Amino acid sequence: MDIAFLIELTINGALTGLMYGLVALGIVLIYKSSGVPNLAQGAMVMIAAYLVWMVAGWLGAPVVVALLVAVLGMFLFGMLTERVLLRRMVGQPIIMVVMLTLGLESLLRGLGPGLLGAAPKSLDLGIDMMPIIVGDVFINREYLIGGAIGALMIGLALFFFRTRLGTKLLAVSDDHVSSWSVGISVERAVAVSWGLAGVAAVAAGVMWGSVQGVDWSLTTLLFPAVAVVILGGLDSIHGVLVAGLVVGILGSVVPGYVDPLVGGGTRDVVTSLIILLTILFRPHGIFGREEIERV
Amino acid sequence: MKKTWLSGLLGACSALALGASLANVPDKEPVRFALLQDFTAVYTFLTNEYNQGQQDYLRLVNARGGLDGHPVEALVRDTANEPQRGIEAYNRARGDGAVLVDFLSTPVSRAAVNRVLEDEVVMITPLHGRGDASHGETFPFVFPMMATYWSQAAILADYIDTELGGLAGKRIALVHIDSPFGREPVPVLETLAARHGFELRAFAYPSPGTEQSATWSDVRRYRPDQVLIWGAGSGQQVSVREAIRNGIRPEHILSVVWLAEADAEHLGKHMTGVKRYEAVAPGRELPVIQAILDEVVAKGEGSGPEENVGSSYYNIGVATMAVAVEAARLALAEYGAPLTGDKLRRGFEQISNFDAEGLMPPLSFSATDHQGGGFGRVSRWDGGAWVPVTEWRSVYQDIVWDEIEKDAAGFRDGR
Repeated sequence: MDIAFLIELTINGALTGLMYGLVALGIVLIYKSSGVPNLAQGAMVMIAAYLVWMVAGWLGAPVVVALLVAVLGMFLFGMLTERVLLRRMVGQPIIMVVMLTLGLESLLRGLGPGLLGAAPKSLDLGIDMMPIIVGDVFINREYLIGGAIGALMIGLALFFFRTRLGTKLLAVSDDHVSSWSVGISVERAVAVSWGLAGVAAVAAGVMWGSVQGVDWSLTTLLFPAVAVVILGGLDSIHGVLVAGLVVGILGSVVPGYVDPLVGGGTRDVVTSLIILLTILFRPHGIFGREEIERV
Repeated sequence: MKKTWLSGLLGACSALALGASLANVPDKEPVRFALLQDFTAVYTFLTNEYNQGQQDYLRLVNARGGLDGHPVEALVRDTANEPQRGIEAYNRARGDGAVLVDFLSTPVSRAAVNRVLEDEVVMITPLHGRGDASHGETFPFVFPMMATYWSQAAILADYIDTELGGLAGKRIALVHIDSPFGREPVPVLETLAARHGFELRAFAYPSPGTEQSATWSDVRRYRPDQVLIWGAGSGQQVSVREAIRNGIRPEHILSVVWLAEADAEHLGKHMTGVKRYEAVAPGRELPVIQAILDEVVAKGEGSGPEENVGSSYYNIGVATMAVAVEAARLALAEYGAPLTGDKLRRGFEQISNFDAEGLMPPLSFSATDHQGGGFGRVSRWDGGAWVPVTEWRSVYQDIVWDEIEKDAAGFRDGR
């Protein structure tokens, strides 16, 4: 057995999984506060990447400036989405809310390429394309930085829930009525969580946009992200970290060995199996709370 | 602000009226071509430029008086790569009198095959759709009109054999998207491997190709002499990046037709030396592109951003309409107006050695061959442009036609 091959698949898979975690983080942040599984998170990642490209690639601003603009823009976008769309859905069946996020996903997927051009855009962060080589193991620098940012963002999210505002969000996620009764503005808390999901989308959009260019296909990151949140638990930040690693590593190692035998295509099978088996045998995921109602 | 596909699409819709509105086009019954394409989903990396080239060429034809006085109208609609929307748009276009349809989408064109055969409407499927539609007797109203993926694979293999030190004893990796399109070249390459004594190994990556690292770790360990990449859109950029990261030199990367200027811009200096199959010459120096610039774009009649004019995908769009208009011209001259799908089909089958003034290889069609000979060439990205490194050629058509016959027989048998 080629140990270097296994190590390389594992490391690159783990880093990729942490980058999936950036997308999953947005879904969990919203679910924790409002109980809404946001199926538009992949499209938000794409819009965030377009925003960075507009400011950096199109207007020629430094990447740091583009990032700041995108963070602010996507935070406002998230809050606005909650205010204009989600708040109107209070009291509606959860399935309708899910359908709304699906509609939003479809709208954004058409709108971004429609307004800014559909050809893939270049998002150059200046990361050296040459890998870090350790023995016979090649480590992708973009994945290394992306994975580090993923871990950092997950750490920041964990820290955030220890702050005053984060504690309010936790209270809201526990019980809306009780939160209202002690003076917490549930609407504002939910809006903030949407805003933070927008910020997570910027991190995901920039790193994945750097890897593959910016176009509609960024929206397809929703699929592995959904596997991450289902495995980790829809309301668990810890779960994003652990499940991100599991989904990333399995999605790299299994195809690395099985694809040559069956002619390819096993990574999506692995991701699908993770979703199916988790729902069948541990519906609340590894770290999720059992009382979570599934849709 | 940059024009986008949205403005392009609006301009496209104006094409409905453009033919009749042009003063120098006599008031004869228009010839209608339906360009029902994917502007919003999977083929977006290509559609804008391709469709712009098609419309600009038709505007050039109209600016020159149309086809024997018949204006040519483009019916442009978005299908979002969805067969049901494509069929709906096709039915409307057929009701509007379209005699030709171009879906620029393999799923949609495959879904429409039986309808166009029944309705006797010509469907062109350049660089997409089913390769076995080259079999004119089985698919009388379908025209792939450019080299199938089988022919493209054959041309790239032939280039390795004749220009890169031969195929015998070499290791060739085919790194492809895991889809029927990605797997399409495999049988031709396997036959060539047996014939020339080289080793072929296929490596699939999952669609849409945004993450390919595990695949390329395996490719690197295979230590291929040459690598063929077979994908489209952003997946192609990822393939080149991963190849470079894994120590494969750009000179050893050869691509299917779907690699263009936008990809090179994204990859920068790392792209220099990468080669691709080419069906149509890119650039602005070609007479027909110059004519579009002078007689359409310079007069403010262009259908999209001027910077697209002359790009690879733009010129492919121009080439498709140049062939279609030539077929319509021949049909009108031979059979007279009104132009029907059946007359247009026969017009296509009369085309012989047509190259649109050097825009593409000389294409000839017949009742048997709807591929047009399977020509193409190899070009190399030199850091600023695609530069041809071979002449137009058509190779291993015996192997290609074995595949065409086999699949066409399957279609006839209902498989």
